[in-house]
Amino acid sequence: MLGEVARFYGTRGVSVVLAPVLLVLFLLVPIIPGAFWVQVATEILILGLFAMSFNLIYGYMGLLSFGHAAFFGLGAYATAILFREFSAGTGEIGVWGFFASLIVGPPVAAMGALVVGYFCVRLTGIYFAILTLAFGELLFSLVFSWYGFTGGDNGIQGLLPPPVFRDATVYYYFTLAIVVVALLLLWRIVQSPFGYTLRAMRDNQQRTRFLGIDVRKYMLVNFVIAGAFAGMAGALWGPFTRSVGPLLLGWQESGIAVFMTLIGGSSFFIGPMVGSIVYTFLEAYVTGFTQYWPLIIGLVILAIVLFAPGGLLGILGAWMKRRRGPREARRVRDEDAAARSEPVATGPEGAER
Amino acid sequence: MTQKILGVTGLNKHFGGVKATHDVDFEIARGAKEAIIGPNGAGKSTFFNLLTGYFQPDSGTIVFNGADVTGWAPHRIAKAGISRAFQISNIFHRMNVFENVRTAVHAEMGRSLGIFGRADRIGIDETEKALELCGLLDKGAMTAGELSQGDKKKLELAIALAGKPKLLLLDEPTAGMSLEETQATMALVDRLNADFGLTVLFTEHDMSVVFDHARKVTLLHRGEIIMRGTPDEVRASETAQKIYLGELHL
Repeated sequence: MLGEVARFYGTRGVSVVLAPVLLVLFLLVPIIPGAFWVQVATEILILGLFAMSFNLIYGYMGLLSFGHAAFFGLGAYATAILFREFSAGTGEIGVWGFFASLIVGPPVAAMGALVVGYFCVRLTGIYFAILTLAFGELLFSLVFSWYGFTGGDNGIQGLLPPPVFRDATVYYYFTLAIVVVALLLLWRIVQSPFGYTLRAMRDNQQRTRFLGIDVRKYMLVNFVIAGAFAGMAGALWGPFTRSVGPLLLGWQESGIAVFMTLIGGSSFFIGPMVGSIVYTFLEAYVTGFTQYWPLIIGLVILAIVLFAPGGLLGILGAWMKRRRGPREARRVRDEDAAARSEPVATGPEGAER
Repeated sequence: MTQKILGVTGLNKHFGGVKATHDVDFEIARGAKEAIIGPNGAGKSTFFNLLTGYFQPDSGTIVFNGADVTGWAPHRIAKAGISRAFQISNIFHRMNVFENVRTAVHAEMGRSLGIFGRADRIGIDETEKALELCGLLDKGAMTAGELSQGDKKKLELAIALAGKPKLLLLDEPTAGMSLEETQATMALVDRLNADFGLTVLFTEHDMSVVFDHARKVTLLHRGEIIMRGTPDEVRASETAQKIYLGELHL
């Protein structure tokens, strides 16, 4: 009985099947000659991690944050500023300095999320979305105008990683390793009692409260976790593009996480990463021959929202379910048949009677 | 004298000019099984909402299990041991049945904040026990939102039980159930009360359920307690007949 229940995966099945396939594909990307597609793939991974951290709030907790880029940007800037300090003078950064500046991204973003979240978790629905947007824009304008510390609208330039990591393929594999670890951590979190409590809050906040759960506290904890992962993605961004700018905290950047999640499917663990593949690939491909990239992505989003509200993985999930359905039925039928034929198989005694 | 698990004194809750709960004094003994009846709008749901902390009373005190819980937040009261099953089934509709109950078990175990624990390895026995008690073990893999109305109520009950409550409040536990389901559910309530010593307080519109299963009945009308007694006393009372039972043509 327990096996029967424990075997039930829900939407987990799709991610469990798809994630290894994607990992193999990601490992193979550098086979393509030239740096272009490796850089596109790096961008896919970083933004995909960012979108997955957003989905911790949207898909698992059921609240739309429209200021999530603030934490992506905070992580990026924390790394960039430390990076700048370490490489001051020589213009070169050592490997350890590089690692140290990457590592400050998540905690700084988490601290930002703690402050912003403290206010935002008091609200739900559209008010939550608006307040996260407001805080996001607040942090954006702070970074935008604080020339002495953040470089203002110039941002911070010249974030040249140590020589080992300068090669696009090396930085790509480095990013892949970090993103894989981050995704494994995220997977543990969403499969933990905490992760299921988030889903319970999403489905029915009032009922969750009556289970003895301090809903606001849990919302805040999740907000901080999501901020930390966004900060990790942000930390990887600066050394990748060699610069950071205030737009990383802007609402357009927040919108990217929303788009990616909708394209891939918010009910699926791996959904935002799939969304990032589609979005980033389209952007890289389409901008090659037309300047109307926003029009194309607008049409894609429109099509998804209208015809596949569960995202691309929603289509895949429904297909897998349809296939599994008949197979389960066959299995049950076969077992029934086997059970019925058993008395006959016991020997002539049974058969005679 | 039996020990009381819940004591309410001078409880008031007004909404505008409406006295939803008016000067209510009430107590229930440990291990009791009682019903609250009354016409629609009598204040039964408000009373439950006050007991569970969903509403804050205007005045009065609520003492549960020796602690003054007046003004406590719902999650603290739930933790203290008052569990509630709702009138309209209040479940986690996108999760499956097993996960619904398991999440409640984790909350009871104080493990809900376990960020790196494995949900599918914690509290499995307790979850199965609650599901088995409520007759839902074979439906564990079903999405809660797709259950029949009767099964949703059973799930609601299983979630409430998973919290290992000391006092179980049931808001019309058999509403929307077939006759067989009603009997099965109330048999379960009887068993929880008799075998596990769980104190049960329920509201119900089905008077046969009330008179068959409650050992004591409280009649509520316009936010006030009109009378309290054994089912026979209430059934025989003229006041009760006039206010409520009469219109039901019993």
